[in-house]
Amino acid sequence: MSRREPALADRLGALREAVEVADGRLAVPEVGAARALLAKAGAREALGDATVVALAGATGSGKSTLFNALVGAEVSSPGVRRPTTGTTHAAVWGGDGADRLLDWLEVSRRHRVEAPDPALDGLVLLDLPDHDSVRLEHRLEVDRLVELVDVLIWVLDPQKYADAAVHDRYLAPLAGHAGVLLVVLNQVDRLDEPAGVACRDDLRRLLDGEGLAATPVLPVSARTGAGLPELRAVLERRVTARRAATDRLAADARGVAGALAAHCGTPSRAGRDPGRPGPELVEALAAAAGVPAVVSAVERSARRRGARSTGWPLLRWTARLRPDPLRRLHLGDEEARTSLPQPGAVAAAGLRTAVRHARDEVGADLPQAWRDELRRTTEVTEERLADRLDRAVAGADLGPDRTPVWQRATGVVQWLLALVGLAGALWLVALAVLGWLQLDGVLPVPEVSGLPLPTVLLGGGLLAGALLALVARPLVRAGARRRARRARRRLTDRVAEVARAEVAEPLAETRADHDRFCAAVQRAGR
Amino acid sequence: MTAAAPTVPDALETLRDRVAELSFGLAVPGRADAAREARAVVDQVDDYLLPRLRDLDAPLLAVVGGSTGAGKSTLVNSLLHADVTRAGVLRPTTRAPVLVCAPADRAAFAGDRVLPHLARTTGAPGGPDDGHGALRLVAHDALPAGLALLDAPDVDSVVTANRDLAAQLLAAADLWIFVTTAARYADAVPWDLLHTAVQRGTAVAVVLDRVPPEARDEVADDLAGMLRRAGLSAARLFVVAERPLDGGLLPAEEIAPLRAWLLGLAADQEQRDAVVRQTLAGALDSLSDRVTGLLAAEEQQHAAARTLQEAADAAYARARQEVDDAVAGGALLRGEVLARWQEFVGTGEWMRGLQASVGRLRDRIGSAMTGRRTSPEQVQASLGSSVADLLQAAADSAAERTATSWRSLPGGTALLAGRERDLEAASPDFPDAAVDEVRDWQGEVLELVRSEGAGKRARARWLSWGVNGAGAVVMVAVFASTGGLTGGEVAVAGGTTAVGQRLLEAVLGDAAVRSLAARARADLRERAGRLLDTERARFADLVTAAAPAPDGITRLRAAADGLATARRSR
Ligand SMILES: Nc1nc2c(ncn2[C@@H]2O[C@H](COP(=O)(O)OP(=O)(O)OP(=O)(O)O)[C@@H](O)[C@H]2O)c(=O)[nH]1
Ligand SMILES: Nc1nc2c(ncn2[C@@H]2O[C@H](COP(=O)(O)OP(=O)(O)O)[C@@H](O)[C@H]2O)c(=O)[nH]1
Ligand SMILES: [Mg+2]
Ligand SMILES: [Mg+2]
Repeated sequence: MSRREPALADRLGALREAVEVADGRLAVPEVGAARALLAKAGAREALGDATVVALAGATGSGKSTLFNALVGAEVSSPGVRRPTTGTTHAAVWGGDGADRLLDWLEVSRRHRVEAPDPALDGLVLLDLPDHDSVRLEHRLEVDRLVELVDVLIWVLDPQKYADAAVHDRYLAPLAGHAGVLLVVLNQVDRLDEPAGVACRDDLRRLLDGEGLAATPVLPVSARTGAGLPELRAVLERRVTARRAATDRLAADARGVAGALAAHCGTPSRAGRDPGRPGPELVEALAAAAGVPAVVSAVERSARRRGARSTGWPLLRWTARLRPDPLRRLHLGDEEARTSLPQPGAVAAAGLRTAVRHARDEVGADLPQAWRDELRRTTEVTEERLADRLDRAVAGADLGPDRTPVWQRATGVVQWLLALVGLAGALWLVALAVLGWLQLDGVLPVPEVSGLPLPTVLLGGGLLAGALLALVARPLVRAGARRRARRARRRLTDRVAEVARAEVAEPLAETRADHDRFCAAVQRAGR
Repeated sequence: MTAAAPTVPDALETLRDRVAELSFGLAVPGRADAAREARAVVDQVDDYLLPRLRDLDAPLLAVVGGSTGAGKSTLVNSLLHADVTRAGVLRPTTRAPVLVCAPADRAAFAGDRVLPHLARTTGAPGGPDDGHGALRLVAHDALPAGLALLDAPDVDSVVTANRDLAAQLLAAADLWIFVTTAARYADAVPWDLLHTAVQRGTAVAVVLDRVPPEARDEVADDLAGMLRRAGLSAARLFVVAERPLDGGLLPAEEIAPLRAWLLGLAADQEQRDAVVRQTLAGALDSLSDRVTGLLAAEEQQHAAARTLQEAADAAYARARQEVDDAVAGGALLRGEVLARWQEFVGTGEWMRGLQASVGRLRDRIGSAMTGRRTSPEQVQASLGSSVADLLQAAADSAAERTATSWRSLPGGTALLAGRERDLEAASPDFPDAAVDEVRDWQGEVLELVRSEGAGKRARARWLSWGVNGAGAVVMVAVFASTGGLTGGEVAVAGGTTAVGQRLLEAVLGDAAVRSLAARARADLRERAGRLLDTERARFADLVTAAAPAPDGITRLRAAADGLATARRSR
């Protein structure tokens, strides 16, 4: 018989993976339950494949009587006073090693069945106390063992089969364990034939409504022995299959996985690189890091330098009146803090808002627990983000720090023109001195198209210099803008890198963990 | 002297109304129990206390209650030796209660004197089940006048409505005939009810049904001991052995003692009165304890509402503090705003009015060289968007903080349910509201500056700068005058903030600038506070809607005191 069911080991492995992923990330009680189950599974698996079957039910339903009937001896004394049984009794069919199992179950009243039926070899039958009497300690013992045993036989009777105490507290919550349960309707000898059938059908209807359609209902009478062969046959099947413990753990794993699945959103969409920061995030981070200020400083600095080298030499000093805006930011050293304005409350606010949007986008379809985890992730990040951004900007290469050749050449020409002008001026001064000394005409003054040469030199030099400065200005501006653009690109790249490493990737990692968690949970719960 | 003292029924009615007003809207632990108890008190007043107080001589109502399958219906049928109520093997059988009375008493039960919320039907037994909202009324000769029997649904089956109805019916009884069996007598659920009966001083008779004849004495002794230990030694215990039924009825001799006792009760006016008074007094006495329990639950609601409200208040107070700090600390003057401000002042637009010629010349030349102009409007715009950003982040964080802390507070998760995602961030229209509010603030500042400047001697100069320019300076001064900028940043700003401010002081006067800035700041804070308050109201309204009425406790306590006074003065 080939089963589609995944092996228990796979299930538990998947569950372990889910727990590992959730560790430190998900603060939900379901993870604790999963961890407890893994511990229980480890312990139970080490104790062999005997089948632990417990008779559970209300007081007076006939658990002890049925137990004795199955054992074939009066081991657990039934009684007319309610409740009778206060401690769990165990009966062991053949098999060895049951002692360790019973130690683990903390059951001390043990009975070894004499001349055991070989078909039941490996059966450990427990007679539990009741769960519905005024004795609270009985209920606690039942609750403890209901978690641990492999097969649960719920013993009901015509009077109590529809009690809320058993249905609401035990049967309905065990809906996922339909295969692990067995329901017997005891004391059918108290009913006539049609009443017994009606009763059983009604019980069947109740169980079906609770999702326990797969659980068989066996009418029996512990007193007359009616229905006991059928019950024994079912037990034999379960015992010889040697699978009860595994089945129980698998059902538990399915249940725990189902509970964990409440913390699963839809898996991530394929295609988009989750670790890539969105443009909105990068832009906000760049703004917070002062990129616009730096870019503007770069542009102004380049313009200032261009003006200094191509400007009219006589007015160049004005540019020196104001310091280089770029130099003042102390960029270029990744270790030192820049003198960029500290990210103030506004920048921090922008940063927080941007990070929050990035987070919301990643967590849009995730359940609360994971969105909480995303929030914690970004809270850690936000603290050091400002510093990382500052370093990124400080360490940026803003392009060559030298004056372009043409600007230097223009500067030389400017100086030459200024020299020409100066020469003209000196000449004129010399002529004036000569004139004062009444030495006019001692030296001939060459003329250029009717104008005296020194005047031409002076006027032409000055005029040409001014013109050159005027012509160079738009070119300097264009150059400065280019440099600014380049600087912006480089800065933005570096900021994007920070956005990726500090925001997008941690978020993507959390998201990936969610996907891994959900995949594992799904495998565990299949 | 006691002219104004209300009668007991009136005081009781007031108390009932006060209890009915309790809403228990916050899902704190124990809320469901408190709500159920409140409903039980109201029901008992309506179903039992008021009718009984108004007519002490009305027939005695004995409610036959207990576990499913205990044989209640069988017992009622057997007592009357008739088929008035259906018994069956399917659990639970009885869903609609059946009230049997003497034909003479019919009128006492047909109207809405007792159990007014249950519609009366008169169908035959075995017909279609009437469901939970109905009470089948049967008049039968076998019952003497003065005594009515009510076959109640069970107290412990999977059918929740049965359990609730049974509790309500038992609370309406003058006498409980509590039926249990040899298999049931130690069940926890019925014992919870018996303990309630002890607390309320209800008259109880216990029928131990379906006892295997051979175990009769042992089981009866065991139960009698349990009853004694529970303080019910006064309760009569009738034991009915399990024997084959005769036409669905118990053998007459098995129920003879119970039957005799009931008939005696019906016949003996005095004994009947004693039973009626015992249960009535007990129910009235127990009311004060029950109301105390309700008050505690109500107190818990108040405490939870307070805690939730405080969590929201704290988160938004922190947001307000953040905004205040940023405003007062000059933090807004960094980044974009600072850049604009530098450009604005740096171009010399401001300096044009300044007499200091060197600076003027320098700046004119500088301006001519760069050709850059930043208008005061740009300064204002960047300042405005900074303030809006700041408000947005503050509102977002406050919402998230509130939602997060609510999730760990009693009642918080339920309030958030279904709205988590909306409430984790500022409301969707907050950005627009913030921008509007900041724009209004800026308009207000300009208005202030305009009126301040109107009377000044230096009006001519003033006008040459424009109100906008002056407004920009005041806005900047709002953030700068407390010295928010550090030395280094002032250097970056080139001292321009201080220059601008000094300039303004020269025109308007030192004190005027300071008061302008102070007023503008106060206005901004007030607006920010208002915006954040609107946001906080989203949470506050949720709490208010679910929280108990502020005076509910006082009113309930007063009503309880009123009842005590009325009872004493009777
Ligand atoms: N043999 C025997 N059967 C009884 C006795 N009392 C009750 N029964 C049976 O027990 C079953 C339940 O009896 P009901 O009278 O319907 O019980 P109930 O307490 O009214 O139950 P609900 O209506 O479900 O609350 C019926 O099938 C009865 O015939 C008894 O003394 N002897
Ligand atoms: N008629 C009848 N009585 C039973 C049956 N099983 C148990 N009883 C009786 O029901 C009572 C309670 O039985 P017990 O085994 O002590 O119930 P436990 O509390 O569930 O262990 C005893 O008096 C038994 O004799 C049965 O199948 N038919
Ligand atoms: Mg037992
Ligand atoms: Mg009934």
